[in-house]
Amino acid sequence: MEDVLIRTVQLTKRFGQATVVDHLDLQIKGGEIFGFLGPNGSGKTTTIRMLTGLLDPTQGEAYICGYDINKQPAQAKALMAYVPDQPKLYGKLTAREFLLLMADLYRIPRAVSRQSAERLLAMFGLAERADELLEGYSHGMRQKVVLASALIHQPRVILLDEPTVGLDPASARLLKDVLQEMAKMGAAVFISTHILEIAERMCHRVGILKEGRLIAQGSPEELRRAVGHGGESLEDTFLELTGGHESAELIRGLEEGE
Amino acid sequence: MKIALPPPLTHAPEARSAWQDFKLLLGSQVHVSWQKIRHWPIGAWIGMVVAGAGLLAVLVYLGFAAYGALQAMPPQNARGFLSLLLMMGLAGQVFFGITAAFAALYMSEDLELLFVAPVSVRAVFAVKSLVVAGSNFLTVVLFALLPGIFYGLLFQAGALFYVLVILVSLGLWIIGTALSQLLNMLVMRVVPPHRSREAIGVVGALGGIVIAVVFQLPGLLMHNKSLNMGAWLAGQQQMLKIMDYFPWGWGSRALAGGVSGSLPAGLGWSLLLLAVGAALYCLSFLLVQRGFRRGWISLSQGGGGRRKKGSPHAKPARSLPQESVPVLTAGRVVAGKASPWLGMWAVAKKDLLYVRRDTREWFGYMMPLIIMVFFVGQTLLLPSEATRGSAIMVLVIYSMMFSGNMALQSFGREGEADWVINSVPLAGWPVVWGKLVAAALPTLLLMEALLVGTMAALGSSVALTVSLAVGAVLLTLGASAIGLYYSVNNSRYNPDSPQMRVSPVASILMYLVNLLFMLFLALGLLYILPPAELTAVLPQMPAVSFSWGFPETILYGLYALSRPLLWAPPWRILLGVAVAGGLWALVFYSFMAATVRQSRKGLRVQSITGAKKKTGRRKLFK
Repeated sequence: MEDVLIRTVQLTKRFGQATVVDHLDLQIKGGEIFGFLGPNGSGKTTTIRMLTGLLDPTQGEAYICGYDINKQPAQAKALMAYVPDQPKLYGKLTAREFLLLMADLYRIPRAVSRQSAERLLAMFGLAERADELLEGYSHGMRQKVVLASALIHQPRVILLDEPTVGLDPASARLLKDVLQEMAKMGAAVFISTHILEIAERMCHRVGILKEGRLIAQGSPEELRRAVGHGGESLEDTFLELTGGHESAELIRGLEEGE
Repeated sequence: MKIALPPPLTHAPEARSAWQDFKLLLGSQVHVSWQKIRHWPIGAWIGMVVAGAGLLAVLVYLGFAAYGALQAMPPQNARGFLSLLLMMGLAGQVFFGITAAFAALYMSEDLELLFVAPVSVRAVFAVKSLVVAGSNFLTVVLFALLPGIFYGLLFQAGALFYVLVILVSLGLWIIGTALSQLLNMLVMRVVPPHRSREAIGVVGALGGIVIAVVFQLPGLLMHNKSLNMGAWLAGQQQMLKIMDYFPWGWGSRALAGGVSGSLPAGLGWSLLLLAVGAALYCLSFLLVQRGFRRGWISLSQGGGGRRKKGSPHAKPARSLPQESVPVLTAGRVVAGKASPWLGMWAVAKKDLLYVRRDTREWFGYMMPLIIMVFFVGQTLLLPSEATRGSAIMVLVIYSMMFSGNMALQSFGREGEADWVINSVPLAGWPVVWGKLVAAALPTLLLMEALLVGTMAALGSSVALTVSLAVGAVLLTLGASAIGLYYSVNNSRYNPDSPQMRVSPVASILMYLVNLLFMLFLALGLLYILPPAELTAVLPQMPAVSFSWGFPETILYGLYALSRPLLWAPPWRILLGVAVAGGLWALVFYSFMAATVRQSRKGLRVQSITGAKKKTGRRKLFK
């Protein structure tokens, strides 16, 4: 359980003159749910793209289950799942066909993948429409298909980019339960989100990114203590750390009636 | 609900070779493509068959013409002709290949998914390259393989010659695919990710122009009996020599070598072609792969890429004077009573900005001008009654279509955010006038350029040119009013095809109404400013008496309408003003009033989505 499953060492990404991620050091252990927070444009998605091997870092390394994502991508990716913020799928495949395709890509034997696909379709409430083309699915249903496909190969690390967008309350709850169950079984869960309530309720630890730099990390309670707002919410702590408190105070002042 | 998940993997499954990954990905690509084809609606199939038959007819005609031309040429000129054909083929490959590369790489929805899966990135790009190559296959067959085969048949070449034909075709195919990928990469580097759909729209429109021009070639060849390809090539020796330095020149040298019996030379040129193709392909493969990995080509039109410039530390925002920040202080600041003209101008400005900023919009706007330039050029280069007639015919069709087209698109443009227009207090005249201004201003420029520019270039009389300049103003305003009416009642929005903003039936109806409006407006203007071309012919026309029958009635009607042209000028002009002014006022104000009335009821943009299309159309395959 104490294994470090996600590790970045001085991970940096520059686009021309702009440094989007700046010497990022992260360690996320098995059994841990890590919330990755930051204002818009702080570099969260770029970090996830580097962790998933979608983008080469300019400098530094990223390891998934001990495999360097750039040097041993096949091994690292086989143990990892990624849930993007936009559920892009093959519109002309059915949900069942899509899950089986993903299982093939992740080298799951057909007999196993069929069983897993049926189980996941039932779990996410997709079984009845499993043979309909994905182009007819709503955003929330597509998101469920992506989640199901992310679980089909039993990943040890799962990275999620704004996973609850478009999900109804029941599905969002199901997602939280699934992620907590995965963490209990020793997987590392990495969630990038703007919804601080999710981070506060679900995450064992959170990291706050600002202008590409990790400015704080720890449990929500530790962060609250660190900024001297023991009794307040993670939202206040986040605004304090990211500089958003100035706007928050301005708005509050204006609302209180000048 | 109990969540029963199997435990996470502890070790990665056994690795697969890149070849196994390639086979797997190719299989899934074929499956996805087949699924797409299976779900094409019948209409798409019929369209494909009709377009295919038309294209085939043109190509067969051109093929016969080319074969006939080859027969009459000495071998040296025949080689030059072959160079030209191979060059055209390579250009065609690059064009179709860029479009395919756009779809397979830049617009691809699955690259992200495949990159995250534990498959070799090389295998992913190899499959995508195959898609690009596949799209070029037909072009290679038509412009390299078949010309090569017919060249061999014509000069009775031996069996080994056909090996050279295959090698040359293969070499050109690889070069075409590699160049397409490289050029696509260049476009991807330049075009920001969020404008990729615009870029593909422009490429498609360019394709449309090229196809329209290709369809004109048989006509050009038929109209100009004196066009002698052999003689023309004989006069282009300099150009043919320069062509020898390019791959299509090498291809023609290889084939000419094969025909003339010097097979080693032919083989040498073919292998050079293949080697250059392989080198270019490796370069394109490497650069595209590297581009995606390093983030300067963005995946899935998402963020990233070189478009991020400068320091991440944003410039401090310009501070606003206190009185201009009434946020959250409701009750203290009372909204001023703004003039509805401001709202009208806001609507117009928004639409005009769209036209300027969306590449598809302004390219669509420029398209009739580009095609008209081709027809004017054709008439000036090959002057004949036929070319002049086709230029005038196209001018009339374009005037009918494009004088109201901008207005026809107007309300559909709101589909992206229809709540805005519906929620602001501007319904009625302000919105409709705003839309009219936005549609009429660019249309006026277009119509003046089309009508006056074309007729001036074709050498029409001053009276006709002036009357067209005045007519363009009246036509623009009238046609825009008609277009707005059909737009407000039939607007639709499809996020997948944002340029389709009105139902096809409404478009056709609008064009028909506009044609009638145009004809009567033209009649009124003819009475006011009769062109010399017409007044010279009219007195010589024999008298027509009325008799029953459809053609006879039409003929008599035209005859009767032409009589006022022979009246004394004051009466003729008075009638002209009455016809043109009266008709224009009737059409303009009645359509505008009807549009305003509809706009007050609320704007409804019919949303067309893939899912709706699916339920509404029959498929060929179940």
